[in-house]
Amino acid sequence: MANDKSTSVSAGKSAWLSLDSWAVIIALALALAVKFGVIKTVPW
Amino acid sequence: MATTTSTSVLCVERENRLLNKLSVLPGILLLAAIGYGAKILQHSVNAYAKAHHWTFPNIEYVLWAIVIGLLISNTLTIPKVFQAGIATYEFWLKLGIVLLGARFVLADVLKLGGISLALVVIEIALSLVLMTYLGKLFKLKPKLTTLLAVGSSICGFSAIIATQGAISADEEDSLFAIAAILALGALALFIFPAIAHALKMNDVSYGLWAGLGVDNTAEATAAGALYSDAAGKVAVLAKTARNAMIGFIVLGYAIYWAGQGHAKEVTNKAAFLRKKFPKFVLGFLFMSLLVGFYTFSKPQVASLGNLSRWAFLLTFAGVGLRTNFRQMSKQRLRPFIVGALGEVLIACLTLGLVIGENCIWGLGN
Repeated sequence: MANDKSTSVSAGKSAWLSLDSWAVIIALALALAVKFGVIKTVPW
Repeated sequence: MATTTSTSVLCVERENRLLNKLSVLPGILLLAAIGYGAKILQHSVNAYAKAHHWTFPNIEYVLWAIVIGLLISNTLTIPKVFQAGIATYEFWLKLGIVLLGARFVLADVLKLGGISLALVVIEIALSLVLMTYLGKLFKLKPKLTTLLAVGSSICGFSAIIATQGAISADEEDSLFAIAAILALGALALFIFPAIAHALKMNDVSYGLWAGLGVDNTAEATAAGALYSDAAGKVAVLAKTARNAMIGFIVLGYAIYWAGQGHAKEVTNKAAFLRKKFPKFVLGFLFMSLLVGFYTFSKPQVASLGNLSRWAFLLTFAGVGLRTNFRQMSKQRLRPFIVGALGEVLIACLTLGLVIGENCIWGLGN
């Protein structure tokens, strides 16, 4: 628990982009990859 | 000589950064292994039960992933090498939510959002008032009460961390508040679906209840998905609406505590709101907007939806792995009692609100 918290806090302070921003950037990159056929189909 | 030293320092720094990045790999692989194992388990158990004509409930991969994670974290000591990777579960959650936006058309978001937004506001107001009252009643430290109130009204873990910084609260207080919210969230994973099954709630009503009543985003998403895929989507939507309020509530408390002379003054309120606003909520809405404008074909939307499921698979494994009941039981009792009492009351109140809304507007019918 304590570890969990300190990891997130320190990661947030040192990173030049927040976790949220990274999640959005990577999601958009994946969406573009799907749109332009780099990723053809994703099975489930 | 000086150039050689600075070059070697740069090389060491670069190597350290690379090693830091690589340190998350073992944990991510563990999340993936548990998640994929859960998916295989769901299929195998269902196929076995069908082949032997057993009446066996369809246990979703979500529950298997959480249970496997819980078993590991509560029976074994997880080696340190996995810790950094396990902590990435929050990233997978946010990635999953942004991609989930592809499965909503913005018009649906606005339609459901319009109906449920009133409930979100009511839930936040009720939680803040209730937790503040209970904190005073049980004579908790005022800042701990604030952290519990924010954690239960908006979004658990992240809201508590954001508020701790804004009101200069003790680390120890935020630990108590986080432990209480996480422990209660873990219990909600099992209690919420059971109550919903007993009440025969429809997917939309239950999803809305899970999104309003469960505090941490990961647990709210899991609690919704445990009931059904549709309920999971609604739970994320309701929870996202709650998350969007984080900046305003944290700002309100920061101003209050600064007024009391116990926190730094907020000079630029717009910048404060911009900084605290969860960006993944914007990403989720943007993705819905793209789908609404037919940017993607149907198979592509399906692929994006499946990518979000894979991201959630890692999240659910992480939810189980980071829930350690032994460690939680070591926390002090009073914050726990206040948290538990408040959560139960909030769960009952939000259930009443959702059932009332369903009676008036017929959600999901």
